[in-house]
Amino acid sequence: MLLLDYLRPSLWIASHLLQATLLVLLVRRGFFRQFPIFVIYTASEVLQFVVIFIMLHSPVPVSDAQYFYTYAFFSAASASLRFGIIYEVFTHLFRDYPALSRLGRTLFRATAILLLVLAVFLARLAPAQGVGRLMVMVDVLNRSVSILQCGLLAFLFLFSGYFALSWRSYTFGIALGLGVYASLELTTSAIRSQIEPVGRNLLDGIMMATYLGCVLIWMSYLLAPERETQSPSKGLPTHDLETWNQELQRLLQK
Amino acid sequence: MTITLVLVLVGLLALAGLLVLARVRAGSTTNMESLTEQLCSVDVDAFRNLVDPGEEQYLRANLPESEFRKIQRERILAAIEYVSCAARNGSILMRVGDAARHSPDPSMAEAGEKLINTAIRLRLYSLRAMATLYLGLILPGVRISPAGIAESYEQMTRLVVLLGCFQHAPQGVAAAL
Repeated sequence: MLLLDYLRPSLWIASHLLQATLLVLLVRRGFFRQFPIFVIYTASEVLQFVVIFIMLHSPVPVSDAQYFYTYAFFSAASASLRFGIIYEVFTHLFRDYPALSRLGRTLFRATAILLLVLAVFLARLAPAQGVGRLMVMVDVLNRSVSILQCGLLAFLFLFSGYFALSWRSYTFGIALGLGVYASLELTTSAIRSQIEPVGRNLLDGIMMATYLGCVLIWMSYLLAPERETQSPSKGLPTHDLETWNQELQRLLQK
Repeated sequence: MTITLVLVLVGLLALAGLLVLARVRAGSTTNMESLTEQLCSVDVDAFRNLVDPGEEQYLRANLPESEFRKIQRERILAAIEYVSCAARNGSILMRVGDAARHSPDPSMAEAGEKLINTAIRLRLYSLRAMATLYLGLILPGVRISPAGIAESYEQMTRLVVLLGCFQHAPQGVAAAL
């Protein structure tokens, strides 16, 4: 436990320092035009870190309630912005495929509604256990948000996989980082809603390490140059030539 | 507790899926030659014959019930094979189209764009056709006539030919067309 007590703040500080660096790089490289919600999310996470760090180390005493409401406000903002990022990824992915845009939009909305119903159903069926009504509510909310975010990202990956849509590196990197975070958040929030506060430190540590990993994923994808698509200079298939020739003749006869 | 376990499992599976996806993407090729080597040949006429309602009616009328069911099952299985092959080609050609639409040559870019749209349509039809064909497999009485697949596939083949022509002799073919 001693190691964990030392690791948790280190992970928390490291991930947010890295995120502050990411924010600077995003702004300097003009990513705000392409991914405004992602940049705002990064900025809000850095701001949250600064505010909470000041509250924890302030010479002026901060009450538990003040700390809780500040934390709850930033958590709600983060969750909302993460939904915004998923939508931003969705928009970027379908921008190049107008033929699929309508179908994608309809299915995306339908998936969101289904997941919302599932999350509400699960919240009623398996309420969280723990001390304090407020904390229980926060746990259930966290779990519901994770179900929604994880499900929406899974939909995006599966849908694009079926139609073989090509992801731009930046969009893929953002979705991957968010997906890793959402899937582990789903796992830990499901466990957290069922255990006593004692085991929560370990789960918090896992989530902080995950967050650090996600920031590293974002950095590596956003700083690497965009992968170029190779033009089919001489690569079209040479077999099936007979069918092709027939088709060509048909075309030329038209 | 069961729900918690299910959610934990779902979360971990999603994480594993994402890591596999990232790995596959990192190792995936953008080389057109190796991509197009994965294309498989589809005999559109044979597919049309397999899903022709007239043919099905003829077999039903001229074969004993048990034999018809056996043959119909084999025909549907063959049709499923054709559809999955066409769908696979669709996703490969989608990537070819994606590369072509970034070409500086406007004709090639346009052909690439059209190829993408046709490949998307083909994938959509394939999804519907697969459902119909599997339904026909479970319920042998149901009529199967997956619409659109053969036409989309032919259109896609024409576009690939067009793309090939632009690539090899842009001016000549463009003028001829």
